[in-house]
Amino acid sequence: MPIWTHYFAHFMVAVIATISFGITFQMPRRHYLACGLTGAVGWMVYIFCVELFALSPAIATLVATLPLTGCARFFAIRHKAPVTIFLLPGIFPLVPGAGIYYTAYYFLQGEQELFASKGGETFKVALALALGIALVCSLPLPLPGRVDDEHRPPPS
Amino acid sequence: MADALFDRALELVMDAGQTLLENGGEVFRAQQTMEIMAASLGVRDFHVYVLTNGIFASAHLPGRDAVSLVRHVPTVSVHLGRVEAVNELSRELAAGRLGVVEAEARLNTARTLPRSTPQLEILACVVGAAGFAYLFGGTLADMPVAAVAGLLEALVCQQFARHGINRIFTDIVAAFCGTIWAIAVQTVVPAVNANAAIIGALMVLTPGVALTMGVRDILNGDYLSGSIRLLDALLIAGSIAGGVVLGWIMARGLGVA
Repeated sequence: MPIWTHYFAHFMVAVIATISFGITFQMPRRHYLACGLTGAVGWMVYIFCVELFALSPAIATLVATLPLTGCARFFAIRHKAPVTIFLLPGIFPLVPGAGIYYTAYYFLQGEQELFASKGGETFKVALALALGIALVCSLPLPLPGRVDDEHRPPPS
Repeated sequence: MADALFDRALELVMDAGQTLLENGGEVFRAQQTMEIMAASLGVRDFHVYVLTNGIFASAHLPGRDAVSLVRHVPTVSVHLGRVEAVNELSRELAAGRLGVVEAEARLNTARTLPRSTPQLEILACVVGAAGFAYLFGGTLADMPVAAVAGLLEALVCQQFARHGINRIFTDIVAAFCGTIWAIAVQTVVPAVNANAAIIGALMVLTPGVALTMGVRDILNGDYLSGSIRLLDALLIAGSIAGGVVLGWIMARGLGVA
């Protein structure tokens, strides 16, 4: 398969998978596309980091979380909606489901070293995810004057 | 403000906070929204403390004793539509476009926003599982296997939730069913890669919500609520791992893996 088809397929599947999770969270219909894009942006950056730059999963997750959370905040401002709506489903492709699985798998196989390394890696990915969200969510709003509703001062 | 109206305004604020918490709003959002609404409705001396599963508030009306209210929010089932609706409501209240009575009606609408049908939710799990199986290195052959595993997990989750069975046990059983199914298919059709299929299906169960919200709670200084959520994430991850291990043990016991 040519390389661009591979990434295009990944992009489309990531959009669809993220929207699917959004549906289970009862996301309003008008946000489907924005939310799918948020998830796909995160996944594409992650897969580029891992496949093209050979970064470790934890670092790749950290790098991917930054544009992902940025996207979520951008859409939150544009759609005047809470940032959670885009962040909760959008983050799912990066949650270390595979890490949890392989940790359990190697535990059972009695492969102590692989078990320890997978477990450590899963933990690191979770930390990277947390750190990435923390970094972007803590930034003050980029555009003064357009007030995101989380940061609106309470009316006096 | 007349006493009756004051009471209704307080109830409204508490209900709004409870709706946010119940449907997956963050702790600081519930707290902030309640404060904004109370200020907009003219409730003075309003103090509120929100936890992951409870709301404590007090208010004071001149010439009357202080009122205190407590709400317990034991279960959360994420409904982002309702979170958005309450958010919108507080925005309009703050802008002064609504009175207590209209706001009550709006909140009622928000609280009764329908959930999508169980069939659609199951379909979403199926599609999600298949999609993630592909993203995590599965082939086209692995996708239908993951889809069926996702279907099993969604069914287990829905049935168990209906009978009020706790989340930990539900996750263990769901992960177990998905694992066993994928291993069974791999045994019959060796071309299928059970690992990719299982991972895709497990994504349905992963604690992404608890992790994200825990981080955000801690960032906002709600350390207690954040810890509760992160502990929740850890427990869910542990349950999933437990289910996977049980599945493989059983498969081995039957001599297929």
